[in-house]
Amino acid sequence: MSAPTPADGWRRVHPVTPFVRGWAALAAVLFIGGQQMVENLPNVGQVAGTVQSVWWQALLGLVLFALAAFGYAALAWRMTSYAVDDDAVHLRKGVLFRQQRHARLDRLQAVDIRQPLLARIFGLAELTLEVAGGSGSGVAIGFLRESDAQLLRADLLARAAGVKARRGAAPSRSSGDGAPTAGDDAATAVEPVVSPVADGPAAEILEELPPVAPEQPVYDVPPVRLILSLLRSAAVWLLVVALAGVAVVVVVTRNWGILASALPGVVGAGGYLFQRFAGEFGFRAAISPDGIRLRHGLLETRAQTIPPGRVQAVSLTQGPFWRGPDWWRVKVNVAGYDSADGKESQNILLPVGPREEALAALWLVLPDLGTDEPRELIDEALAGDATTDRWFTTSPRRARLLDPFTWRRNGFAVTERALLVRSGRLVRSLVVVPHERTQSLGLEQGPWERRRGLASFSLHSTAGPVRPVAYHLDAADAARLLDDQAVRARTARAHATPARWMEHVAEAVPHVAAEELPVHEPDGSPASLPEDVR
Amino acid sequence: MTSEPVSTSSPFDPPGVTWQGVSPRLITARLVSAGITLAVPVVAGAVLAVLVSPWFWLVAAVPAAILVWVALVVPRQVRAIGYAERDDDLLIRKGILFRSLVVVPYGRMQYVDVEAGPLDRRLGIAKVQLHTASASTDANIPGLVPDEAERLRDRLTVRGETRLAGL
Repeated sequence: MSAPTPADGWRRVHPVTPFVRGWAALAAVLFIGGQQMVENLPNVGQVAGTVQSVWWQALLGLVLFALAAFGYAALAWRMTSYAVDDDAVHLRKGVLFRQQRHARLDRLQAVDIRQPLLARIFGLAELTLEVAGGSGSGVAIGFLRESDAQLLRADLLARAAGVKARRGAAPSRSSGDGAPTAGDDAATAVEPVVSPVADGPAAEILEELPPVAPEQPVYDVPPVRLILSLLRSAAVWLLVVALAGVAVVVVVTRNWGILASALPGVVGAGGYLFQRFAGEFGFRAAISPDGIRLRHGLLETRAQTIPPGRVQAVSLTQGPFWRGPDWWRVKVNVAGYDSADGKESQNILLPVGPREEALAALWLVLPDLGTDEPRELIDEALAGDATTDRWFTTSPRRARLLDPFTWRRNGFAVTERALLVRSGRLVRSLVVVPHERTQSLGLEQGPWERRRGLASFSLHSTAGPVRPVAYHLDAADAARLLDDQAVRARTARAHATPARWMEHVAEAVPHVAAEELPVHEPDGSPASLPEDVR
Repeated sequence: MTSEPVSTSSPFDPPGVTWQGVSPRLITARLVSAGITLAVPVVAGAVLAVLVSPWFWLVAAVPAAILVWVALVVPRQVRAIGYAERDDDLLIRKGILFRSLVVVPYGRMQYVDVEAGPLDRRLGIAKVQLHTASASTDANIPGLVPDEAERLRDRLTVRGETRLAGL
């Protein structure tokens, strides 16, 4: 085994972890079994007969499987340990294939505290650090006691911010004192869990910096609005239309078996809707010196912290049925949050909200849009088109053959701080990318576009749901944009937030604590915005 | 920042950029690999046509036509590939019918790969692949002479280090 880099302080996760993890495996088996049963629903009587004859075998199998799962999880728990020092978080895990992972704190992109349902019952939480290393590069430490996880998060964020960089020694081992871990419950009696925050040097720090940085609530999403927004989503309408079609067929043919054939579709759509509802339930956003804090979840809760300057791109979208109440959905790209597995809930900044809240969400990411009239600009970006444009450059009239509906909407605008890309007429969409977050730029032109003197401009952001592309621009506009954007990105990078952001944020902290966030003002922005900007 | 309208014929020809082409040996490499994959159905069709029925000439004709098309297009495609090192970024240009231009700032490069398959090694060419934090950055330069590939790799690495920005 390779030598541990930290001087001391390899710590184990909570001893109840194997139970929580093993239970998840068991639940998966039960779920798959249950699904098989449901799929065999038509011959349910036969299945019931089979179950009756072999129930004890099934039970024995289940018990054996549970024992094996828990045994393996216990072994995995023994082999898992983590350590924190000033520069990095270290994690050792794996039973057969040992893995030692080392996540540099100055590359920290986000910290999540995840609590699956069972972990919530035990008061446990899993802490995930995202570093920008591509898919699956995050470090998951879990499970920990909830209060410990929160302290560890505060500690990591402070270290990543550079606050504790001067601290010499790594935290020494200590049993959980000095931290508000009130309930030392029976579970910890098995083996004393070492508190993530040491008492010695950390205690001084804790006096300077509160364990959890002060935060200012910005908005929350009431469940009623979430339900209404889901009812207005395309999935529900498709489902209703499909069900109506099935009902008509059933009435006409009097063949009730068709209802069963519609079941998978209903289950699928229902599952999707429930996943959205459960993932985005109780959504709350707040701003703190550590960055943006998001909390959401019905069964499994997730508390995300995205430090300043870690959001790579923002998008605001509005489906056709959301236009009445003027609701918007705000998504972000954060390096390390990969939505490749279909779980988009990490990338949501605002599940659904009126324009004011969508703007507040945008200001969270970009306090200063770099323009004198941010509100007017955003209004134009969200709802305007070429007939009313003041800032946006849209596709020329030549593009209407390629883009008959959206050519007036497709376009871009540039401010001192960000590039705005607008698209879509039925599903309106706006993408905002801060100049310093530009990765690379591209220009594409197909044969049709060349005949009409058009070209498409794309900006490459990190993996995520936001893809900034401006289609069918005038070729000269696109070429100039490519050229200028390269220069702007370069100059912006030179003045970008440092990786250790605390020196940058330090002056803003008193403002955040003192000032109420002016969400409803047109130029409202989190208090880190200096007054002289406008 | 230029404010006057760009009057060049194409947006893929930014003013003041001298493009470097890639080795013509890439043409051979691409033709050989296309030839190998397409020769199999051509030969099979021809053999069947002689042995079984003249209708199989049709089977042979389709891949043969594709082969001729490839032989006509590939040299132009390879000549269309170009790259240019500017002070702060690297430009890569590709395509005739579907054109693309990618601008990769040196400070954004996370790592650089140099790859060469068996055929490439025999012909003495290599491919340089650039990676940024974005998966959608499709920046590679095929058909470089190994010396040039190494020089480019080292140069990109050095420039990347001096201009390195986080993310």
